[in-house]
Amino acid sequence: MPGGREILAFADAVIGPDRAALDKARHDLADALGPAAVPAAAAIAATFTKNDRIANGSGIPSELRMLRNSKEIRRELGINDFRTSVNTLRHYPEER
Amino acid sequence: MTLYADSQYKVREDLDAVHAEQLDQLADPGTWGTGAQRLAIAREVRQACYDARIQEEPEDTGPPSDVELPESVCATVRKLAVAPKDFLEDSYEEARSGGLSDEEYVEVLGIVSRLTDMDVFARGIGVPLRPLPAAREGRPSRRRPRVAKKELAWVPTVPNLPEGGEEAAEIYGEDYRPYILRSLSLVPDEMRRHIELEEVQYLPMKSILVADYRHHEGFTRAQVELIAGRVSALNECFY
Repeated sequence: MPGGREILAFADAVIGPDRAALDKARHDLADALGPAAVPAAAAIAATFTKNDRIANGSGIPSELRMLRNSKEIRRELGINDFRTSVNTLRHYPEER
Repeated sequence: MTLYADSQYKVREDLDAVHAEQLDQLADPGTWGTGAQRLAIAREVRQACYDARIQEEPEDTGPPSDVELPESVCATVRKLAVAPKDFLEDSYEEARSGGLSDEEYVEVLGIVSRLTDMDVFARGIGVPLRPLPAAREGRPSRRRPRVAKKELAWVPTVPNLPEGGEEAAEIYGEDYRPYILRSLSLVPDEMRRHIELEEVQYLPMKSILVADYRHHEGFTRAQVELIAGRVSALNECFY
C-alpha cells in the first residue's frame, strides 16, 4: 500500500507519548503522500480515538453479521484476546 | 478566523467548523450537566492526558474552573481518557456506584470521547490544544428518551425501528443503526454530536459500504482503514 509504513508510524505516534516521534512521523507522512495526508490521517485517528472509547465505555457488542464475517481474521490477529471482547462474546460465545 | 488557522496543513472548512462549534458548545449546559461541570470534565480529561504524556499542555488553557468533581467521576474520566483498553464492566459499575446515573455516565462518556478526538486531531496536525471556553449559565435539559431500555450494552439504548418508534426515528432517521451509532442514544444530543464528528472526519454514513468512496483528498479507503485498524488495535477495541 502506498505510504503504508508512514501511515502506521503516524497512527502509533499520534496516540503515543513520544512527541519527537510524532513530529518525524508527520513529516515522513507528508513527504510520502503529500501534505493533505496529514489532516486526513489525523482525522481518522481522531475518529477511532473517539469510537474506541465509546465502544469500550458503553459495553456494546459487535453485530452478529460482523462477527460471522471476521472469525478467521480475529483468530489470526489475536483480537479475541482483547479484554473488551467479553462485551461481545458473552452474548455470542459460539462466534469465538 | 478559523479554529486551525495556525496549522501548517490545510484543514477542510467543514471539519474546522464542526470542531469549533463542538469545543465551544462544551461551555453550554448539556442534558445532565451544567456548562461548568462539563468543562470541569474536559479539564480533567486534559490533565489526565498531560500526566500520561500523550498530550502537551498549551500556554493558553482557557479560563480556570471552580468546579470540583467527585473523586469517582475523576477516576472514571481519567480511565476513559488514557486507558480505554482497561475500561471493563467493573469500571462502569464503579462509576455507577460512585454516584453517576446511567444518563450522567453517558454524557460523561460522550464528552471524554469527543474531546480526546478533537485533541488527538490537533496534536496530529501539530498545533497546540485549543483553549477551552468559559462556562455559560443555564440548566441542563434533563431529557431522557422514554423508549430507552437495556439491550445488549451496559448502558440503556434507544432500540432501532420499529421498536424505537418516534424517538428512534428522530435520533436515527429511518435507517438501521449498528450499536456504535446507538451507543450514546440515552443522551440524544451526545449521540448527534458523535455522529456529526463521524461524518466529517471519517465518512458520511450513507457511504460506509461503498468500498472505493473517498472522503479525504488523496487518501484511499484502504489507507483510511489501515489507520482505523491500527488505532483500534492499540486501544484494544474489539468492536
